[in-house]
Amino acid sequence: MKKKILVANRGEIAIRLIRAIQELDSTAVAVYEKPDERSRHIRLADEAVLLGDGPRSDYLNIRKIITAAKNAEVDAIHPGYGFLAENPEFARACEEAGIIFIGPPSKVIADLGNKVVARSIMAAAGIPMVPGTENLEKGPKGIATAKEFGAKYGYPVMLKATSGGGGRGIRLTENEDELVRQIPIARAEALAAFDDDSVYLEKVVVNPKHVEVQIIADNTGKTLHLATRDCSIQRRNQKLIEIAPSRVANPALLEEICQTAVKAAKAANYFNAGTVEFLIDEDMNYYFMEINTRIQVEHTVTEMVTGIDIVRNQIKLAFGYPLSFEQEDVKVRGHAIEMRINAEDPKNNFMPEGGKKVSVYRSTGGFGVRLDGFVYQGYEIPEVYDSLLVKLTVHGFTWDETVSRVKRCLQNFVIAGPKTTIPFYLNIVDEPDFISGNFNTSYLDTHPKLFHYEEAKGEVGKLARLIAEIHHHGKNPFAS
Amino acid sequence: MERIFQGTPAAEVIRKLRDADGYYITNTARDLSQSDFKNRILLHTDLLAAEERDRAGYYSLEITGGASIHVDMLRKQVDPFVKLKLLREKMPNTMFQTLCRGVNLFGYRPYPQNVIRFTVKEFAPYVDVWRTFDFLNHVPNMQAVLEEVALAGKVNEPCICFSTGPEHTNSFYLGKVQEILDVTGPDIVLCIKNHGGLGTPQRIGELVDGIKQRFPDLVVHYHGHNTDGNDVGRITEAVLKGATIVDAADSAFTGFYGPPPVLTVIQVLKEYGKEAIGINEDAVIRTSDVIRDERQYYQQFESQIKGFQPTVQIHKLPGGAMGSSLEQASKGGFLNRVSEILHKELPRVQQELGNFWSVTPGSQILWTTAVSNVLGGERYGTPSGDLKNLLLGKYGPFPFHQPPEWIYKKVLGEDWQKVLDEEGGVEAIQDIDLAQEKADLHEKLGKEPDNKQLALYLQHPQDAVDYIKFEEEYGMVHVLPPSIFFRQGGFDIGDTLYFSDTQGKEHIIEIGPSPVVDTGETVVYFNVDHYPRYYNFAPILAEGVEPARQALSKEEIMDLAMAGDVRAVFAGNLVEISVEEGQVVKKGDRVAVMEAMKMQTSVVSEIEGIVTAISAKIGKTLQPGDKILKIDPDE
Repeated sequence: MKKKILVANRGEIAIRLIRAIQELDSTAVAVYEKPDERSRHIRLADEAVLLGDGPRSDYLNIRKIITAAKNAEVDAIHPGYGFLAENPEFARACEEAGIIFIGPPSKVIADLGNKVVARSIMAAAGIPMVPGTENLEKGPKGIATAKEFGAKYGYPVMLKATSGGGGRGIRLTENEDELVRQIPIARAEALAAFDDDSVYLEKVVVNPKHVEVQIIADNTGKTLHLATRDCSIQRRNQKLIEIAPSRVANPALLEEICQTAVKAAKAANYFNAGTVEFLIDEDMNYYFMEINTRIQVEHTVTEMVTGIDIVRNQIKLAFGYPLSFEQEDVKVRGHAIEMRINAEDPKNNFMPEGGKKVSVYRSTGGFGVRLDGFVYQGYEIPEVYDSLLVKLTVHGFTWDETVSRVKRCLQNFVIAGPKTTIPFYLNIVDEPDFISGNFNTSYLDTHPKLFHYEEAKGEVGKLARLIAEIHHHGKNPFAS
Repeated sequence: MERIFQGTPAAEVIRKLRDADGYYITNTARDLSQSDFKNRILLHTDLLAAEERDRAGYYSLEITGGASIHVDMLRKQVDPFVKLKLLREKMPNTMFQTLCRGVNLFGYRPYPQNVIRFTVKEFAPYVDVWRTFDFLNHVPNMQAVLEEVALAGKVNEPCICFSTGPEHTNSFYLGKVQEILDVTGPDIVLCIKNHGGLGTPQRIGELVDGIKQRFPDLVVHYHGHNTDGNDVGRITEAVLKGATIVDAADSAFTGFYGPPPVLTVIQVLKEYGKEAIGINEDAVIRTSDVIRDERQYYQQFESQIKGFQPTVQIHKLPGGAMGSSLEQASKGGFLNRVSEILHKELPRVQQELGNFWSVTPGSQILWTTAVSNVLGGERYGTPSGDLKNLLLGKYGPFPFHQPPEWIYKKVLGEDWQKVLDEEGGVEAIQDIDLAQEKADLHEKLGKEPDNKQLALYLQHPQDAVDYIKFEEEYGMVHVLPPSIFFRQGGFDIGDTLYFSDTQGKEHIIEIGPSPVVDTGETVVYFNVDHYPRYYNFAPILAEGVEPARQALSKEEIMDLAMAGDVRAVFAGNLVEISVEEGQVVKKGDRVAVMEAMKMQTSVVSEIEGIVTAISAKIGKTLQPGDKILKIDPDE
């Protein structure tokens, strides 16, 4: 292809993008902020541009990134996820600068990013949705609408910032008093966070499964799906573990959801890769939630089960190539699990462990194993960015095989320095509900025992701990 | 004649012993050497020896009791009950024997009656032969144990502790035997407990002969130590005069002050036409072959003094107490005065205090008193609490004569007669509320204890709790061989350690580097069964948790003491703070008492002054250099 593409992101996704760009015989340009100067994506890229001191503000600075792109004379920009990925202003700035934005057009991003607009598009297309309101009117009128909605559909009710997303700007209200009290607070917060004080209501689906469909569309309007993912295992609305395909034991329902996703994407005139998110309630009703107009963290599980390189396709689609395969070519083979290995202390409310040095990094390998990471031994984790260190994705022919494979990989993984989510995941892979695929978004709350783990597991682990004491102290401290 | 197998009813055991034509041997694995060494033998080693020992055909294996309940938990981190259970699995044929200190059970102080009975009940299913003694030969001190053992249907083996001297006549001992038989009835084994290895072969022969003449049906078990190198002689005479059971140990692990080797006893007695009943000599030899190579890993615990101690006939300090006494002398910096203490002062103290038996806890009282008499300048100037209790009669009456009045005056004060009248006599120790104890233990552990855990807790409260918590954290560490468990100076990078877990699966640990990282932590890297593992160790222990040990030399500790900064000289428990803040002390006054392995030692003030601050707490384990209290010198 011989193009030059700027990667407007950092961390593991920057490396994922650089790899795809280089596999397309193109040149990858990295950008970075000063606190990120030890990041591995800078070394792997063909060129790298320092944006400024940051932190975060330069990765979010449209002008600086466009300037860097112009200076480097790139053909396109890939935004990754987070930062500017779903910012329609950024997509528009690219379009205006004559640089290809690898993603949907700015209008599509804007439409789908506005929850209320998105809902009206989906309603018009007949997509099943959680009952909800338009943007609440300002003042007492909006309060009255909210009360009416609560009375009709019952509590709890979710109060959402229209411009929110990624789990931000959402609050649950249990009754009318709380709802009325929260509306002005939510508005003030939304204004501060998203520069838009619009809020709306949605009925709460209790303990749903979070199931999403990867879609991909070319500029001829050909829109395909790459089957389902389940992202139910979350903490505070942040995904931790994702699997593909969904473990819902109803193939007809899943097929229907996939078709609905394609219909939703078409209704939004979707182009490039995206994700249509659904909730499935305990009675197997499903509801449209939103469309994410970016590459997802968890795209790896879909790639593993379909064999389709989503990022490579994104880039080619952006350069005007048509999709090179048909829906019937998309075959799901086996199962995939992704675990986000974060530098966090699960026992301490997933407190980030930023600022610590990775004194040992020994990764795993073997059949069916994929790693998307960016840290290395000796790397000091910056405190100012997110805590994701590496994504462990495994593929297996059967579900049981996949679970045992991910368990084996977790046992093989050694990261010393920061606390990580690995020992917590080791508890999950032994937990019967996880093994049987019986989990929804309440999984962590309903399985508090998962948080009871020791660093050293099993008899030999305990004994090895004593031997370490004998070794470290130069004598057995318990036998003095 | 045939061997007696485990599971034989007690009455049947006694009958077979009475009918024996020949003699039986007890393997005293628990008691096979001088104090610290014998207390360190790991279950791992005993399990290695188990199969051959079981084939060897002993009457019994003494494997529990004495200090072992305590040191199993404290030094080896093994559950004393689990130990017996695991050994029983590998040794189905051999009776297990314990040593019980009468009213002191497996500890160092008298316990309430209900604790004694409860403890015996809990141990009885695991222990077939109960050897019970009292250091004053005060039979009432053994009574509760004897009764419970009989109730449990186990073999009762009460002791007469043996010593030498003008009072220690056959007629005295025969009287004691009669006292015992009055309590137990005839179906017992009587033990002659010659813990010091005292007396000549002829004297032991006379005693056995005297007992057998008076009580022809009484089964006699002779127990001795080879401290002077002559216990084979005493054993020979005992058997020739009618003793039915004698004690010996595995040659690879016995040595100074332990019992003599089994094989030597067999060979000597064979010449006299005496058969060792049930013994398989091949298995006796093989037992030592199996464990011989393990002894090197216990090297650090071997006695500082090698060779034999024929002067035991003068100082009478038993083999068991010798090691810890010398260790104390070494750590306390008075090794050069040991000869004076042992050979001059100790016999004098012994005579003055009534010539009772130098065995736990009496041996510790005698030694401690002799040490403070020599080092303290003024004889009986700094008496220990235990000595006070002895004079008050708390342990029981003096067997022959009371110490002279001047000693009472020294120890109890000018109005000693009044003190004696008011506080004297065997203390009636109130029963304690076992349910409450169990509840307390429940709270300390955070979970419901079982009765066995309660029994351990009642013996040694703090150490039992520490042990139970240790096991939760580190697991069953008896699977580790002494080469790992007692490793000194750490391992080398690249060393590969092998051990088998409780299921018999072998594990491999490869030792990696231990770099100090930026945080100051040391990270120890291992490959555990080929999987990399790491362990972080904090650089400086957090404040208030455990202060970093100041490696003070003895001289530095002494210098500090001269300046009024009183610190622990050796590692041990602080059992008494004898002064209060604000109190005026003189040079030589006792300010505290420490205890290490049954041995109490007074801490004395080196200066005159006022106690200004007490920083140590009673019951705490102190390391050398740990602060105890401060004395402001009188200017």
